[in-house]
Amino acid sequence: MRREDSSSGDRQVGFAIIPPLQVQTFTDIVRYRFVLENLVAKNLKALYRNMALGFFWSILNPLVMAVVLTAVQLKFFGQQAWWPSTFLCALIPYNFFAYCVSGCANSVIGNASLVTKVRFPRQILPIAVIVTNLVHFAIQSTLVVAALLWFPPPHDVVGWHFLWLPVIVALNLALAVGLGLLVAGANVVYRDVQYIVDSVMTVLFWLCPLVYDAGPVLANSPRWQFWLYFLNPLSGLLDSYRAVLFWGRAPDLGVLALATVVIALLGVAGVRSFWKHEHRFADLI
Amino acid sequence: MTIAIRFEDVGKRFVVQHQRPFLARELLRSVLQRPSHRQEFWALRNVSFSIEAGESVAILGTNGSGKSTTLALIAQTTPPTEGTITVNGRLGPLLELGAGFHPDLSGYENIYLNASLLGLTRRQVDALLGSIVEYSGIGDFIDAPIQTYSTGMKARLGFAVVAHIDPDILLLDEVLSVGDGQFAQKCEATIRGFQKAGKTLCFVSHNPSQVLALCQRAIWLHGGRVQAIGPAAEVCAGYQRFLDGGALA
Repeated sequence: MRREDSSSGDRQVGFAIIPPLQVQTFTDIVRYRFVLENLVAKNLKALYRNMALGFFWSILNPLVMAVVLTAVQLKFFGQQAWWPSTFLCALIPYNFFAYCVSGCANSVIGNASLVTKVRFPRQILPIAVIVTNLVHFAIQSTLVVAALLWFPPPHDVVGWHFLWLPVIVALNLALAVGLGLLVAGANVVYRDVQYIVDSVMTVLFWLCPLVYDAGPVLANSPRWQFWLYFLNPLSGLLDSYRAVLFWGRAPDLGVLALATVVIALLGVAGVRSFWKHEHRFADLI
Repeated sequence: MTIAIRFEDVGKRFVVQHQRPFLARELLRSVLQRPSHRQEFWALRNVSFSIEAGESVAILGTNGSGKSTTLALIAQTTPPTEGTITVNGRLGPLLELGAGFHPDLSGYENIYLNASLLGLTRRQVDALLGSIVEYSGIGDFIDAPIQTYSTGMKARLGFAVVAHIDPDILLLDEVLSVGDGQFAQKCEATIRGFQKAGKTLCFVSHNPSQVLALCQRAIWLHGGRVQAIGPAAEVCAGYQRFLDGGALA
């Protein structure tokens, strides 16, 4: 067992932003990877039972969303024929983020029967949600490829700037982990966090560049509004995805740097808050 | 002898919230500077005892005396508010009615999840699976979701997993009382095997004959404090007198 007794309260060792003990948040996952495997298998059960049908259920939601919004955009707003491509480039990463955070909020409470009976690193629960959604993310990415082939962008997109993609995905993952840990812990203490999270996701859908492109919208606004808009790291990420995948260019480095800083801060907040309250979860559930 | 479990001046305080805390309400409350009404109570206070490796100890007490809290503290699912707890050896899960199972998963899947939480690898579980299923006597229901199981079936499955993972310390919270006679005998045989192998057993029971049959020592908790600790026969007799209407010594 790690951490024998949490009553002593001296877990904060050193002055590093993430004290060495909190790194255990991640190293423990390696030790308990079989647990993680079992939890992910449980979450993906539908997929495991029937591969073809699982694939279908996974892409159904974004597909319906894309079809409906495309119909509206093309018919009433006179968008270009390639609109579904630009939309899906942002929708799939947004979905990954939203499912992760919303799923994490429920992850600890939903496994109350385990948390109260066995001592194990609790962060396995939100991390299992994130790994599960990574699988869905991979499956849904085929929709982006299909859209880009079907409704091709106005110019060539393939090039070296694709190397930015792993960086953007890694940041997207880090954002999901940080916020996921934050809301997973918070929802144990305050049960309305789940509802707040779900509402915020709806707001973010319209606040982030999904149905519109950030560039033209912000073109005539003052500089501070531009940065305020991109203070939201998800906006920065979605804009970067679209820059690379659809416009065929490198992302705006200033925007990406700001997103990185915010994601790092959220990550530290998530890890620290989870670590601080984790030992009380069984009492609070 | 080595110590398996040691409690030194252990106390556990719970905060009872009459309403589940909601973030929105708490924020409003802090803005309006209203005090939140929360009540605290000590489920355990100044509890000290030690259990040696290889010993079998029963925990007795009326409802609300702190028995389950004691087991949860040993199982380390919850930290003590004060005092120190030392546990040496590999812990089994806290076996309660419906222990550590996920209601949506089948019996099979729960065996894997449960065993993995207790530190087994996939290969180890693969090797033990057949034997666990057979021991549980659940039969075809092993493919059905746990939520369709009866209390007795859940206890069987939980006990079957524990019987195969070979923990050094076994924690049982009234599980032995739910299985039918046949299964209870099987459990008792397994427990005797554990005892012979020098394992430590700590269990909560309301059944004096079971306590006397399995344990050398007993701890009687009352109101979160140790009322008596000593040879099982003496403690059981004292507890029985109290239940029959006698005063506390």
